[in-house]
Amino acid sequence: MTKKNIIQLQGIEKRFGKFVAVSDLSLDLHEGEFFSLLGPSGCGKTTALRMIAGFQEPSAGKVIIDGQDMEGFPANKRPTNMVFQSYAIFPHLNVGNNVAYGLRNRGISKSEIDGRVSEALEMVELGGLQSRGATELSGGQRQRVALARALVMRPKVLLLDEPLSALDKKLREQMQFEMRHLQQELGITFVMVTHDQYEAMTMSDRIGVMFDGRLVQVDAPPTLYAKPCNKEIASFIGEMNFLPARVIGEEGDGLTISIPCFGNMKIDRNPNVAQTGRDIEIGIRPEQLEISAQKPENYDGTVQGKIRDVAFYGENVHYHVQVDGIDRPIAASVPNYFHTVDHRPGDPAWLGVQSASVIDLGQDQSKIK
Amino acid sequence: MTRPSGLMVYAFLYLAFLYLPVLFLPLFSFNDGTIVAFPIKGWTTEWYRQLGGQETLIQALVNSLVVGVVTALLATSMGLFAARAYVRYRFRGKEASEGLVMLPLVIPGIIVASSMLVLFISIGIKPSLMAVTLGHTFLALPFSVSIMKSAFDDFDVSLEEAAFDLGSGVVETFRRVTLPIVAPGIVASLLVTFTVSFDEFVLAFFLSGNQPTLPVYIWSQIRFPAKLPNTLALGSLLLLASVALLVVAEYFRRRSSKSSI
Repeated sequence: MTKKNIIQLQGIEKRFGKFVAVSDLSLDLHEGEFFSLLGPSGCGKTTALRMIAGFQEPSAGKVIIDGQDMEGFPANKRPTNMVFQSYAIFPHLNVGNNVAYGLRNRGISKSEIDGRVSEALEMVELGGLQSRGATELSGGQRQRVALARALVMRPKVLLLDEPLSALDKKLREQMQFEMRHLQQELGITFVMVTHDQYEAMTMSDRIGVMFDGRLVQVDAPPTLYAKPCNKEIASFIGEMNFLPARVIGEEGDGLTISIPCFGNMKIDRNPNVAQTGRDIEIGIRPEQLEISAQKPENYDGTVQGKIRDVAFYGENVHYHVQVDGIDRPIAASVPNYFHTVDHRPGDPAWLGVQSASVIDLGQDQSKIK
Repeated sequence: MTRPSGLMVYAFLYLAFLYLPVLFLPLFSFNDGTIVAFPIKGWTTEWYRQLGGQETLIQALVNSLVVGVVTALLATSMGLFAARAYVRYRFRGKEASEGLVMLPLVIPGIIVASSMLVLFISIGIKPSLMAVTLGHTFLALPFSVSIMKSAFDDFDVSLEEAAFDLGSGVVETFRRVTLPIVAPGIVASLLVTFTVSFDEFVLAFFLSGNQPTLPVYIWSQIRFPAKLPNTLALGSLLLLASVALLVVAEYFRRRSSKSSI
């Protein structure tokens, strides 16, 4: 089943003077999906969102919403609504009037407005708080009011600009689930901008990662985590060990490589990265490494090293293992199944890895002369 | 409780030096005698009672009220838009323009007054209440701009964007969101600019022609010793009114900076 594309961005670009905030961004967003634009601050993700909202006109390219080209449609004429980073709750209006604000622009009867407002407030679990003053709300309540105020408009797309960044950690985690449930119940397309990879991964159907104004990779969270398309993304999302490797054979989609510590193995070629010479870089997630006192069996690559540091995180334990011939220690993380820390600094330890866990990250940039 | 330090004594003397003379005005306005000197001869409210019957005084009061109200409206509406532009936008010549607006605070009144007189006559505006109003608007503008700037400083830009996003046009956004949120600042600005105009003498003296405002009228009366107690009574009332207005204005100004969340 192919879903309808509710938003199509066709080569949109935004320049401020000589500065290019967003360059040649093309993206199709499916109806009913939760999409996140993820990237470090200043990568252009908010500018992209504001171009969808209509606060900024693209310098080039097209924004198409539900089949209609949005050129010449300012924000107040678009079928999108926004939840702002600061929430932008109107301080002079109570909760009910805040939520009713947009409906009153549409010439809807008072009784219908009242009905829709209380329905929207129920939805965000603020039922009956219509007469509460805007200045009397907690951070979490303001976030809910902002959601209700946008959702009551029944937008085709809800835009969220760092919606959880102003909340404390516990509340943020709770709201992540609530917003996800709300989105699935309503079936409205959500487009969220965030710099928090965990937020993006827990909530989204798909994530688009941006760097320096460019959209670099668009994938579902597990794919993005398992197959980051380049080193930038590999280091931005989750933790990653980076190791040098040398290509010793190529056959179709596969590469035979030699990793100085783990030896030779066959891995999948990454089609997204350039590979001009034989020196490449590979990535291995810490939790994909086996660590044990004896040499592990049935692994495609093994190496012995020495434990340098142990970091206990509660749910898992991180070991940093120094291996001869590798500059930086290799990190391995182990789930804390039995409440024990099995290795101590100075202990010898073996690392094991399967070739499927090794990610091709292309040309080793440090070896280019 | 800390013991009064040398600095506190200094501060107290300083304030006494500044404001004690002003308090002599109301004190002697109740003195039962026409000579302003101690000892007080006795207490009377006669001078206040006589104020009611003086038609030229009433006319001067009306003139001052009209000039004050029109000045307050003109200066505040200009200050509102200027302040919003200064806080929201970056544009060429912004700094220069902000400096220029504040200039009336530092130019000597007599210079402004004589230049305005020359200017107005040369462009055909005779000395009149209208001339005074224009002059006062010029003087009051720095006050309204700075009050409105502080109102806009605490105003989150995304509030206007949210209104726009929810379907309001530019005018609707201004009416339903911007205005109500800066309303306390507007009230504060109206009151302060009114007071600036109401108490102003030099410009009014040069520009009022044969329609004196209250301060000009008071000045003309001060020359007649017999009228002096009346003038003191009138002055005391004006003092009271000014203080009251400024207190109310300050209340609203503080409310405006507190209301933004």
